[in-house]
Amino acid sequence: MTELLTNPLSLSIILPAAAGLALLAVPRDNEPLLKGAALAATLATLLVTLKLYAGFDPALAAMQFRLDLAWIPAYGISYALGIDGISLLLIALTALLMPVSVLASFSYIKEAQRGYYVCLLLLEAAMIGVFAALDLFVFYLFWEGMLIPMYFLIGVWGGPRRIYAALKFFIYTMAGSVLMLAAILWVVAAQHAATGVWTFSIPALYGAALTPEAQFWLFAAFALAFAVKVPLFPFHTWLPDAHVEAPTAGSVLLAGVLLKMGVYGYIRLAVPMFPRGAAEFAPWLAALGVTGVIYGSLVAWTQRDMKKMVAYSSVAHLGVVMLGVMAFEPAAVAGAVLQMVNHGLSTGALFLLVGVLYERRHTRMIEDYGGLAKVMPGFAAVFMIVTLSSIGLPGLNGFVGEALILFGSFLAYPWLASLAVSGVVLSAVYMLGMYQAVMFGPLRHTENKILKDLSPREWLYLLPLLFFIVLIGVWPNPFLRRAQAAVDSYIQLAQPYPAPPDTLPAVVVRK
Amino acid sequence: MEHMNYAASAFSVPLLLLLAALAALLLPLFIRALRGTQGLMALGAALAALTFFRLAPQVEISLFNGAIALNPASAYLWLFTLGVLAAVLALSVYRPPAGEENAGEYYFLLLLSALGLMALIAAGDLFTAFIALELLSLPLYALAGIRRSKPGLEAAYKYFMLGALGSAFTVLGIAVLNALYPALTFDALGQGTPGPLALAGFLLVISGFAFKTALVPFHMWVPDAYEGAPTQISAFMGAAVKAGGVVLLWRLFSLFDGGPVREIFWWLAAITAVGANLAALAQTGLKRLLAYSSVAHAGYLAVAFFGGRQGFEAVLFYLPVYAMATIGAFAVALVLEKDERGPQIEDLAGLARTRPWLAAAMAAFMFSLAGVPPLAGFFAKFYAFAGAVTAGYTGLVVIAVIMSAVSIYYYLRVTVAMYMKPPAADTHAEPAGLAGAVIALMAAGVILAGIFSRPLLAAAVGAARWF
Repeated sequence: MTELLTNPLSLSIILPAAAGLALLAVPRDNEPLLKGAALAATLATLLVTLKLYAGFDPALAAMQFRLDLAWIPAYGISYALGIDGISLLLIALTALLMPVSVLASFSYIKEAQRGYYVCLLLLEAAMIGVFAALDLFVFYLFWEGMLIPMYFLIGVWGGPRRIYAALKFFIYTMAGSVLMLAAILWVVAAQHAATGVWTFSIPALYGAALTPEAQFWLFAAFALAFAVKVPLFPFHTWLPDAHVEAPTAGSVLLAGVLLKMGVYGYIRLAVPMFPRGAAEFAPWLAALGVTGVIYGSLVAWTQRDMKKMVAYSSVAHLGVVMLGVMAFEPAAVAGAVLQMVNHGLSTGALFLLVGVLYERRHTRMIEDYGGLAKVMPGFAAVFMIVTLSSIGLPGLNGFVGEALILFGSFLAYPWLASLAVSGVVLSAVYMLGMYQAVMFGPLRHTENKILKDLSPREWLYLLPLLFFIVLIGVWPNPFLRRAQAAVDSYIQLAQPYPAPPDTLPAVVVRK
Repeated sequence: MEHMNYAASAFSVPLLLLLAALAALLLPLFIRALRGTQGLMALGAALAALTFFRLAPQVEISLFNGAIALNPASAYLWLFTLGVLAAVLALSVYRPPAGEENAGEYYFLLLLSALGLMALIAAGDLFTAFIALELLSLPLYALAGIRRSKPGLEAAYKYFMLGALGSAFTVLGIAVLNALYPALTFDALGQGTPGPLALAGFLLVISGFAFKTALVPFHMWVPDAYEGAPTQISAFMGAAVKAGGVVLLWRLFSLFDGGPVREIFWWLAAITAVGANLAALAQTGLKRLLAYSSVAHAGYLAVAFFGGRQGFEAVLFYLPVYAMATIGAFAVALVLEKDERGPQIEDLAGLARTRPWLAAAMAAFMFSLAGVPPLAGFFAKFYAFAGAVTAGYTGLVVIAVIMSAVSIYYYLRVTVAMYMKPPAADTHAEPAGLAGAVIALMAAGVILAGIFSRPLLAAAVGAARWF
């Protein structure tokens, strides 16, 4: 049982969870201690994930840092964890965004602070858990368990329509996921019928002998759950509400991490477990992704609320990612993985920046601003870099990901890829339009003349994001190299009619 | 010899409860100083029984010509009954539901009802089960109306009329079956394929017990009875009485491998899951909401039946997990109640500000009932549905999981009121006292019993083999 704490992967889940529960013992009004402990816990978790990053061997295709403890043996459920390059990058992203979110909440959150930081820390544990789980039951547990803290984050500390947004978020996600639960039970029962063994182990269920018809329905059930989360058009309607109403940190984590869970679900579960079902659905999912690119961009263009604009731009960005994931081409999938990280960084930073403005002026409407570059030069510079990263300017991170996805998916879906390019163009139109309206021109509103530039604390949480935005832009190789083996094995597992079992990659074999 | 020892120790538990019931009823009549202590007597007896109850050896001991069968399964459920009883008694001591002059009757009836449930669980034949059912139900009719107020009497009246109808069905069915299977033991009932007459008898008996379990469409009495009865009694009905019905229905269900009885159960489970959850959406009173929620959970339990042995293991895990959340939620309702109908959902507004721990516990109960991980309710549902899927009833499970997604809405409404609405002006600040202890215990249960479900699951698996 000591492995629960000595395994760094397990520790990165238990540490924030335990810290969150420990915070409950802190008196409600002891603000400095609450904030300090929350920040310390997220930083400690970041350190643990750095250890994961350093200890990860990019050459291996197999899962690393594995832990497999029998949990509920009667059903073959074990607390099984392990990561490949894709999960590694997403866990690192999560761990990076967490201290940033905590720092960004220091002055934004004024009420019920204890509950707030407890929710943030429990959310972190669940998010990392989703990316680390190698057991279907454990995956589902974290996947759904994540809903409770996020529901409270939106519903208690959110904006005016927070109750509606929180309920919609919870019910959409839950409704999407329950069929996945039925499908999980079905797969495990089918595997039991075939092999006589109860197991929820994800690698053991890869390549389960299932008829094409069963694969079709099972993939559909999983795909629905993940499509709601990504969110794919037309399952995206919860997203603008949730993003707009959530507090800044909630939006950052929703966009930065939670949406990635949906894509990750396709990569880790739906496609490798049901490759034939995936083959049937992939073109449709890619098409829905591209529809999301165009629809999301057009709707974003018409928004006058900055947060809503960023929210719809997320629909567009994730649409491109889905196109890449469903192309099953090495470049496209690698690009999609990188783009997930990029989107987490740049959209997370955009939400933070909108939050910075909102804290000062209590409005997010574009027309309430204008000429801010004169009073907030530092802010304007950061906003510029992030905007350019979001629209995919070469030299910044967004370009690398999008270019790889478009090049790669052009081989599989030339028409869809061509259409997706229009989304990239559109994103430049609305993002730059917003930037211009907010930053340039005369200072029309007197309230804006006294706005203060970024404070040291704000610099502190924005700089790490800027650093990675530039670093991935100019030197993406170390990140791509870590994901390489995982991407290859994903594509291999996605083959609808795979090679004989003995030539399957090492991940298929349970230790 | 060891068996006789066990039988003796097992019987000392009902005997203890019976003595406590009589003592609570009679002693204060003669000894003035004991007036007002009836609740403590009953609670003391229940706690003593819980402490000294021994789990059975791995054998079945048949007593009174097979009328009573003591085995690990009945022991597991007796323990469950004692636990529920102790919690309900603690809530009754916290806030006496009946006036001083009725206190003796109240505890007498409640203990008798618990005895009836224990007899029902251990019943070895159908006729004993019927008598036990009556022993369980008759005191409850009186308890529902013990406050003699309008809602209380309405509850008692409805409960009695429909309950009597259910009993009539049961006894008619038993009469029919008696003609065909003179022994009426469950072993005998399982012999051979039933003819049309036997089938009619079984269906009558099943519909009678479906009344007690509150499966749709036999649930009409539930919302009014739960709302009008004292909240402590609502908790007892929701947690314990349902368990008795479920166990009996399982024993009848497991007599059939297929055929019309299974088909009818399929429909009962599906209609219950759909009907109860849809009806619950419209509720505004907390107790009515919990009433419909209890009907919905009866539906999930019926789904679990289709998993066969594995399903019944899940049922035995489900019952305590569900009971903890239900008792806890009713206890919160009790702490907050200002009139007999109990709090409205809107009355919980701002509870997170005024009483954070109470709100947190209530949220845990709601999320557990809704089946959201990592609370125990999720694990219970997972086990319940796993068996049914394995046995090939995926369609039924799909209905159940979709309806449990629907149920999220009404459970969330409670948390919305507590956490996302400003406190009402006149927040009722009754100290929680003994009810607080019950709530804390139940909350710890629903939080931990899932993640650490191994011991409870192992006990359920061990017990399930015997029915």
